[in-house]
Amino acid sequence: MRSPRTLEVWRLGTVNYLKSLKIQDKLVSERKSHQIPDTLLSLEHPPTYTLGKRRTDHNLLIPQSQLTKIGAELHYTQRGGDITFHGPHQAILYPIISLRSIGFGARNYVETLERSMIEFASMYGVRARAGNKCETGVWVGDRKIGAIGVRISCGITCHGLAFNIDPDLNYFEHIVPCGIADKEVTSLRRETDALLPKEEVIHKQLITCFAKAFSYDDVVWKEDPSFILDTKDDG
Amino acid sequence: MALRLLWASRVASHLRISVAQRGFASAVLKDLKYADSHEWVKIEGNKATFGITDHAQDHLGDVVYVELPDVGLSVSQGKSFGAVESVKATSDINSPVSGTVVEVNKELSESPGLVNSSPYEQGWIVKVELSDAGEAEKLMDSDKYSKFCEEEDAKH
Repeated sequence: MRSPRTLEVWRLGTVNYLKSLKIQDKLVSERKSHQIPDTLLSLEHPPTYTLGKRRTDHNLLIPQSQLTKIGAELHYTQRGGDITFHGPHQAILYPIISLRSIGFGARNYVETLERSMIEFASMYGVRARAGNKCETGVWVGDRKIGAIGVRISCGITCHGLAFNIDPDLNYFEHIVPCGIADKEVTSLRRETDALLPKEEVIHKQLITCFAKAFSYDDVVWKEDPSFILDTKDDG
Repeated sequence: MALRLLWASRVASHLRISVAQRGFASAVLKDLKYADSHEWVKIEGNKATFGITDHAQDHLGDVVYVELPDVGLSVSQGKSFGAVESVKATSDINSPVSGTVVEVNKELSESPGLVNSSPYEQGWIVKVELSDAGEAEKLMDSDKYSKFCEEEDAKH
């Protein structure tokens, strides 16, 4: 008989990318030493382009010097995956969870992240699917609606997924998104005629789909985001 | 599964070692040692060759990139020294032994998929000169590792 699994959820609003990396580093370290249970960060970023470990910056189509002009930052990270864009009205989940305690490897983990997003999309009548081989992510037809890029260190995850609710899709024109040249990016707004509720509600729905896909018994909603936003080594 | 056992038997007879017969899941080779982070190591005198196990590659998915350490790097048992990428996930690889890197498998830069298709042979990752041969005692033998994998897989 397995012991009940708890997920702690922090809803953080808009968080600068570098700050979110610092928060994740701290949480990964705390999770490794069993100081905290599995934890989920739910947030958005200001306009930010990010690259994965393979540093595929040839997929950024404008000079880096132009980025400030369009109001965006660029960051190199240790996650898997290619270049992507994060911005307002894109729901991001960063799970800091122990894969060893559920016997998951990278493949199962990523497939379950995909299932979370597919289940969420279906709440709005959107028929999404997992990507084909080499096209990890969530698609509606040939249009990408959800992206994944994760890092696993000693069996603890960080980075995660990004689901397009209604971001400014023009920002994606400046990159070859995820290194896939001939496919469009889309959003929930574009794919459904359903009335979208307030984004807080949408984020909560996505979180609930995640918790269900990963079979958590309890979800603890942490009420005071300043507890982890006010990190002492604020940069 | 029959194909996997056939493959494992062929590898085993080539390497002149015996295969632990398991009814299901991944191949585990006797005469190798294993870490609980799913790396295998073959120790020959004061040199060791290691990589990731069949269980590991199966759970990772198709490997598209292997981050290799530099020759001359010091590695420590249980500490990360590199990473593999698969399905948009980078997974750290931990060194099962301590020592100094003397050779890396450059083939993996062109053909990272060797880690999947041949995890114990052509998909080897690093060769080190051991700094502490006694550390191998802390690793699992093939039977213990097989059980360990079964227990992990039973968790979900």
